[in-house]
Amino acid sequence: MTTADVYLQQIINGTSLGAMYALLALGFTLVYGILELINFSHFNVFMVGSFIGLGTLEALGVTPNGVALTGFALAGVLLLTFAVTMVGSGLLGVVIERVALRPLRNVKGPAAMITTIGVSYVLFNLVLLCLGADGKNFPSPLPQVSFAIGGAVLRLREILIWVVSLALMGGLTYFVQYTKLGKAMRATAQDPEAARMMGVEVDRVIIAAFFLGSALAGAGGLMFGLYYNLTSYVIGFTTGLRAFTAAVLGGIGNVPGAMLGGILIGLIEAFGSYWISAAWADVIIFSILVLVLVFKPAGLLGRLAPNKS
Amino acid sequence: MTASIMLAALRPPQSPADRRRRAGVVALTVLMLAFPFLGHAFQGLGFDWDIGDDDVDSVANALAYATLALGLNIVVGFAGLLDLGYAAFFAIGAYTYGVLTAFQIMPAWSPFWEPLAVLGLVQKYHQEAGDLVHFTLSFWLALPLAALLTAACGVAFGFPTLRLRGDYLAIVTLGFGEIVPIVFRNVPSVTNGAAGLNGVMAPTLFGFNFRVDPTPYYYVGLLLTALLIFVSFRLRDSRIGRAWMAIREDETAAGAMGVDHVKAKLMAFAIGAAFAGMTGVFFVAKLQTATPDMFGFPVSVMILVMVVFGGMGSVWGVVAGAAVLSLLQSWFLPSLTQWAHALGEAVGNDWLQSIDLARSIELIFGIILVLTMLFRRDGLIPATRKQAALSFDAQHVQGVRRGGFDPEAAAHVLGELPHIEGNLLEIRGVTVRFGGLIALNKVDLVVPNGGVVAVIGPNGSGKSTLFNVITGLVPADGGSIRFGGAEILGLKPHQILERGVARTFQNIRLFANLQVLDNVMIGQHARLRAGIAGAILRLPGTRAEERAALQRALDIIALFGNRLAPRLTQVVSALSYANRRRVEIARALATRPKILLLDEPTAGMNPAETLELAEQIDSLHKQGLTILIIEHKLDVVTRLADTVVVLDHGEKLVEGTPDEVRRNEEVLRAYLGRAATEAAHAA
Repeated sequence: MTTADVYLQQIINGTSLGAMYALLALGFTLVYGILELINFSHFNVFMVGSFIGLGTLEALGVTPNGVALTGFALAGVLLLTFAVTMVGSGLLGVVIERVALRPLRNVKGPAAMITTIGVSYVLFNLVLLCLGADGKNFPSPLPQVSFAIGGAVLRLREILIWVVSLALMGGLTYFVQYTKLGKAMRATAQDPEAARMMGVEVDRVIIAAFFLGSALAGAGGLMFGLYYNLTSYVIGFTTGLRAFTAAVLGGIGNVPGAMLGGILIGLIEAFGSYWISAAWADVIIFSILVLVLVFKPAGLLGRLAPNKS
Repeated sequence: MTASIMLAALRPPQSPADRRRRAGVVALTVLMLAFPFLGHAFQGLGFDWDIGDDDVDSVANALAYATLALGLNIVVGFAGLLDLGYAAFFAIGAYTYGVLTAFQIMPAWSPFWEPLAVLGLVQKYHQEAGDLVHFTLSFWLALPLAALLTAACGVAFGFPTLRLRGDYLAIVTLGFGEIVPIVFRNVPSVTNGAAGLNGVMAPTLFGFNFRVDPTPYYYVGLLLTALLIFVSFRLRDSRIGRAWMAIREDETAAGAMGVDHVKAKLMAFAIGAAFAGMTGVFFVAKLQTATPDMFGFPVSVMILVMVVFGGMGSVWGVVAGAAVLSLLQSWFLPSLTQWAHALGEAVGNDWLQSIDLARSIELIFGIILVLTMLFRRDGLIPATRKQAALSFDAQHVQGVRRGGFDPEAAAHVLGELPHIEGNLLEIRGVTVRFGGLIALNKVDLVVPNGGVVAVIGPNGSGKSTLFNVITGLVPADGGSIRFGGAEILGLKPHQILERGVARTFQNIRLFANLQVLDNVMIGQHARLRAGIAGAILRLPGTRAEERAALQRALDIIALFGNRLAPRLTQVVSALSYANRRRVEIARALATRPKILLLDEPTAGMNPAETLELAEQIDSLHKQGLTILIIEHKLDVVTRLADTVVVLDHGEKLVEGTPDEVRRNEEVLRAYLGRAATEAAHAA
């Protein structure tokens, strides 16, 4: 492999990881934009999402050693799996909002954030206790097709991640910009009180934000499984922190910012692991988080919502 | 006089509650001291109730968690900084002692080590391939060393996060908490990597080696816990503790009242970290092993759960929280599991027989955290107790003094005021822009020493921005602000307050969950000197300073008669609107101002209250205090002000005596619009 090939390979790896981080970062950003709340439960909604995906695939008869699917069967299985995973994760997000966060909505201070830590911890330990500590093999319905670009290898799973992420991000952008509920969401992010007076049902907007954010996290969790052929109860924590870093890097509360931040963090992880060492990847990413927060707290693209005080 | 009576009433030498509390502490101390021997006592009395080494060990662990919870309580409970990576400091303390006594870390011997060997800090370790250095740091030396080191780390970690809002701080500390174990794992030459350190030396005391007997560790843990409880209380009831609570309640108001939030936050980080560092030394000495996995996120969460469950900010609460949760893990869950198994056997249920509750401890912690937040946010033992409202009689013990403050008392409270001829405050060409909006455009304004200047103008004319730029809350885009002849533009809010500029806020920014007395005490922050050492040791100097500060706070509150005096220990959020305005003025007076900036002090008051306050402000003026006031009520302005400045759209429209301004055409137009002005002329 030439140096150019190696770099190309890192770009392929980095953008695939980054697309996943971006999906997760969008959930942080949607909730933060509206409630100014860092939602730690999002970390493990992602993790639960990957297990919902695993369960759905198994229920559809896809096994780790089974035959790869093609054509309509493949498309159907993928569509159904993504749909079930996203709806399941989305509903989980809505339940969390309704049960644990709504009662604290008007409480000042860190109460709501501490609660999300508790919820996250409950999810984490529930999965650990119910499904065990071992990593689970993640079956893939994708055929083992890969393309050589020079010395770099592009696999079908990376193409899948790109396509699905782009579609979901495009869909979200359309939703936020052009639909009625999306406009209500942006209005609420600007000023919940004014939005309420203009007839926006703020509760519905918040539920929508949790549903969409969690559904995207679930899609991310499914991609994680398809990408690494593995899932485990621990994936939420490190992946969630990286995705949060992505949201901050892009400018938390800012939808395009979360996408940009996700891709950047993916690339940083890929190149950092290559140049330095995978063992230091998290140290590099958190150092970036700290540097961004100190020198450019608004992130690269700035905030969608003005600072409410 | 009144104040000293109130002081006596407030802190009687031995109230029944005090006596009960003291008795409780003594009983707890005796029980804890006797605990390891209670088993013998019970058996002597014929009970079959043993307290074995395991139990002593469990309680020693609970004590270690209690010290961690006390440390996190300083950061989260007192200063309101959500730290999710607290275990990092625990790890640093543990590794400090571990690295400096374990047999895994042994560099080659060289003459450099000779002097340290003489001091007993290292030993020469003979080996065929060449002599090595074995570090032999004493446990007793390691405790303060780790405290200092982790305090330094606390400052270093805290520094980049200071400018961040609270929720970002949580995520950055979470990141730090993740990084530290990763670093320990990845630098094996210093830490022996993922395998960790073992064979860490047990402490020795006067030749007695602790080895693995839990009892001596128990007593060290007990001593450490007692020390940290003492330190927590001393800090809480000091200038430092009040500053922490002020930034927790309202950082902006704390700055405007003279609290340097950078310094206060770093102190909280440093002290909280030092607690964790000492506990780390204790813990690793007791366990005689340290691995990176012992200090991950679950540990940080567990300590947070203990603090939240016990009651954020409540010293006894967090100790109780740590004790309950840690003993839940080591005592109750195993017993409960055995009962479940027995029950399962009896009814033939397989699931009950296979249950292991100790494994689900983290799940239980998560559930406890959520339930505490949802149903009992103040925790097991709340930091502030709710107080009943005053009775009708208590509200009317003393009438309101008409005609302003008592001159003598007011003069006493104000103290020495500057003797300068001319202007105390000079604002020249000050401009403030918010994006495209010009909030203030080259505004000039002077306040003569001893004078009263009123600023009026329609809403949005830049009045409050003017106050914010004077007090350093908003940066200026040009101009100059001189106070007492020295430039204050560009200084931080607390520095401006130190120079003698105090203010109130249009929308009242008190420390809402603190008592009236605490609010006024915080106002004196910049005039007091006690630092951390002073607060903990409380030497005669500090003691006298505190007593004088308390007396002065009571004197100030007494100025307002029965409006505030009977409500001394009430939480300000429970006060009426007018009383909150009065507390804000009392707090500003506590800062020993040379100039008082009042932002709509009578807003929301009824005519009688307005008159009362106007008279009080007037009496301050009569004692020589310089006042700059924003006010909408023109009768108040006319009554108080020598000079009136009218702002409109960020520009100074007119300046003159109240009468001149009242007749000015431009002012009428600004307030009423052109048509109305013409109509007024026509009429």
